[in-house]
Amino acid sequence: MTLTFTDEQEELRASVRRFLADKSPSEAVRRWMESEEGHDPAVWRQMAEQLGLQGLALPEEYGGAGYGPVELGIVLEEMGRALLPAPFLSSVALAGQALAVSGDDAAKQRWLPGIVDGTRTAALAVSEEGSSWTLEGVRTTATPKGEGWALEGTKTFVIDGGSADLLLVVARTDEGPALFAVEGADGVSRSPLTALDPTRRLAHVTLEAAPAVRVGPAGDQAGYLRDVLDLAIVALAAEQVGAAQACLDLSVEYAKIRVQFGRPIGSFQAIKHKCADMLLEVESAKSAVYNAASVAAERIAGAGEELPIAAALAGAYCSTTAVHAAKETVQIHGGIGYTWEHDAHLYLKRAKSSELLFGAPAAHRARLATLVGI
Amino acid sequence: MTGSLTATPADVETDEEFRARLRAFLTDHHPGKRPRDVVEGRAWHKAWLARLFDAGFAGPSFPREYGGMDLPFTRQVIYQEEYNRARVPGPQGTGLGIAAPTLVKYGTEEQKQQFLRPMIRGDKVWAQGYSEPEAGSDLPSLRTTARREGDSYVVDGQKVWNTHADYADILFTLVRTGTPESRQKGITYLLIDAHAPGVTVRPLRDITGGTHFSEIFFDAVRVPVANRIGEENEGWPLVRTSLGHERAAGAMNQAALYRRVVTELTALAKERGLTADPLVRDRLADFEVRVRIMRYTGMRVIADIVSRGEPGPASSTSRLFITTFEQDLHEFAVDMLGADGLLLRDDPRSVQRGRWVGGFLSTRASTIGAGTAEIQRNTIAEQVLGLPRDPAMPPR
Repeated sequence: MTLTFTDEQEELRASVRRFLADKSPSEAVRRWMESEEGHDPAVWRQMAEQLGLQGLALPEEYGGAGYGPVELGIVLEEMGRALLPAPFLSSVALAGQALAVSGDDAAKQRWLPGIVDGTRTAALAVSEEGSSWTLEGVRTTATPKGEGWALEGTKTFVIDGGSADLLLVVARTDEGPALFAVEGADGVSRSPLTALDPTRRLAHVTLEAAPAVRVGPAGDQAGYLRDVLDLAIVALAAEQVGAAQACLDLSVEYAKIRVQFGRPIGSFQAIKHKCADMLLEVESAKSAVYNAASVAAERIAGAGEELPIAAALAGAYCSTTAVHAAKETVQIHGGIGYTWEHDAHLYLKRAKSSELLFGAPAAHRARLATLVGI
Repeated sequence: MTGSLTATPADVETDEEFRARLRAFLTDHHPGKRPRDVVEGRAWHKAWLARLFDAGFAGPSFPREYGGMDLPFTRQVIYQEEYNRARVPGPQGTGLGIAAPTLVKYGTEEQKQQFLRPMIRGDKVWAQGYSEPEAGSDLPSLRTTARREGDSYVVDGQKVWNTHADYADILFTLVRTGTPESRQKGITYLLIDAHAPGVTVRPLRDITGGTHFSEIFFDAVRVPVANRIGEENEGWPLVRTSLGHERAAGAMNQAALYRRVVTELTALAKERGLTADPLVRDRLADFEVRVRIMRYTGMRVIADIVSRGEPGPASSTSRLFITTFEQDLHEFAVDMLGADGLLLRDDPRSVQRGRWVGGFLSTRASTIGAGTAEIQRNTIAEQVLGLPRDPAMPPR
C-alpha cells in the first residue's frame, strides 16, 4: 500500500504544480470559465506535449507512460488545487481509465492514442435524470442493430459531454448494463447545462437510435462497470482533496495578514480553531484518497478487491471535507469571500458540485454500509 | 540509539522472525483474565510486566543498558501491532509513556541507572503531578513550591488529576522554585517518593463515579536534590520530551482498538434489529469511514517517518481526530440503544454491562486531559499552520 510518495512522485507533483501556477493562474481560470470552449486548448496541448499528463496513467502500448491511479491522483490533486478548467477528469480519468481497464483491445487501439496525445477527448455518460452515478439508475437502452447497436435514452450531468469527440455511454441490454462508444452526431443531441460550477462543463445528452459500438469485456459487464464508476469516484476525490488544501492555504494566509481590532484575525482562537479543524479534515481526506488510489492500482493489477469500499469511503469523506473547507474559506475571508473577485466562491462551487455529481456523501455511506456488512 | 530507523548490522534477525518470536511469547505466556478484585488485579498486572521484562520484551523504544529493547522504529511498530493483537495489559501508570523519555534525555547516569529499570519492569509505578486546581491549561502558573534546604527540597502544595496516583510509588512532579511570577522560567522537575512523609494521595471521584484520578497534597515533603531531573528552574522544557516517534507507533494501537469497538457496536446494532434504520446505517457507516481513516493516517505517518525521517502534519491532528471520534461513537451507541442505553454497569438489565454509557461519560475526559481540545487546536494552528499567537497570552 502506498501511503507515502517516492522522490519521483514528489517531483511529478512539483512539476505539475509549477506548470499549473504558470499556465492556469486565477486570471486564466476566470477567462476560460467564461469562454465558449471552457478551457484553454493551448494549455491542453502543452499538458500533452511538454508533460505528457494525458498519457501518464494510460498504457504504454498506446503511447502512455503506464503509471496508474496513484500518479493520476497526484496530478488530479494539483488540478483541483488550481481549479484547472480542462477536460482532464472526463477524458483521462473517467473515459481513459474506462478504456484502459476494458480488456477490449480493439477499443483501446481505436481511441486511447488520441486521448493520450490530447488530440481527442472523451466523456463518460452514466447519470440519468433522478439518478447519479449508479448502474441501477440506468434506463437508456441498447439494442443490436446491424453490426452494432442503437442507443435510446437520456444522459445528464455528462462532464465535458458537450465537447467530447467520443461518448462512452452506459446502457441496458438484455444481459444487463454495458458500455457503448458513440461517435458523431447521428442520433445524438447535446445541450449544455447551466449549473453551479462555472469551471466545469456539463451536458445533457439525448440519444435517439444513436449508432454505437459495444466496448469492454464480452459477457456480463457489471463488475467491469462497477470498477469504472469506482475509479471515477477515486479520481474526483483526489481533486477534492487538492481543492480543500488550496482552501486551507488561502484561509491561513489571509488570517495572517487581515488585521481587525488591531491584530491579525488569525490570532483569534475562533479563526485558529476553524483552521485546525480544516487541517484535520484535509489530512484525514488525504489518508482516505491515498489509500483509495493505492487500492485502485492494485485493482488494475488484478487484485484490490477492496476498491468499492475504498472508493465509497474516499467519496464520502473527501467531498464533505472539500465543501466544509470551501465554506470556511468564504467565512474566514468575510466580505471579500462573498465577492465574485475572490476565488473562494470558485472553490465553493467546485466542491459543492463535485460533492453531488458522483453520489452524495450519504449515498456513498449507504453503499459502504452494505459493503462492510452493516 | 533509540528512535534510529534502521536495524544495527549486528541484528541478524529479520523483522518477520522478530514478529514471530514476539507473537509466540505473547501467546505462550498470556496472563489470562484480570482478577476482578482491584488489589489482586494490580498484583496480576505487575507479575505480567515482570515476566515480560525478564524475557527481554519490555520497553521497546528504550536503551538496552537501562533494560529496554532499543528497537529501530519499524520494529517498534511491529511490537505495538503484536502487543495489541495479543490483548495483554500495557504499562501500569503513566511513567513509561511520559517520564521515561525525559529521564533518558535529561537524567544523569546515576538517575537512569536507578530509575529506569524498575520502571520498565513495572516494579515501580509512576504517576504524573503536573495539573493543579488553579493551573490546568495554564500549567506555567502552577504554585506548588519547592524550597531548597541543604541536600533536600521541601515541597508544599496540591496537585490534581493524577492518573493512577492512588497506587503509584513515584510522582514525577513540576514544582515552583522561582518567584511566584516566574512562570515557565521558575519550574523544576522532581521525582517524589509517593510514600514519603507529608504526601497524601486522595482518590478523586469523577464523572463516572469511579476513581481513575487522584489529588495529591504535599505538606513539607522532603525530596533529595538528587531526585531533580535537569537543573533548578529549568524543568519546563523537559515536559514535552519524546525520544523519537514512539507515539506514532502507539497511535496504531488506538486504531486497532477502535476497529474492534466499531465492529462490536455494529454487531450490537444488528443483534437488536436496528440496522434497517437508514439513520443508524448512516451513522455506523460514518464510524466505519473514520475508523478506517484512523488506521490509514497511522500508517501514513509511520511510512513518512520511515521514508523521510519525520512525520507530516497528519501526526499533529491524529489525537484530535481520535478523541472526537471516541466521544461521537459512545454517544451514538447510547442514543441507538434508546432508554436501554441509560442503564449503568451495576444494573442487571444493562446492555453489555453499561459499557457504552460508561464510555459516553469517560470520554468526556478525552478532550480535556493532557491538553484540552481547544489548546490542541491552538497548538496546531500556531505550530503547524503558523498562525500568530494571541497577543493577550503570556509568551510561550
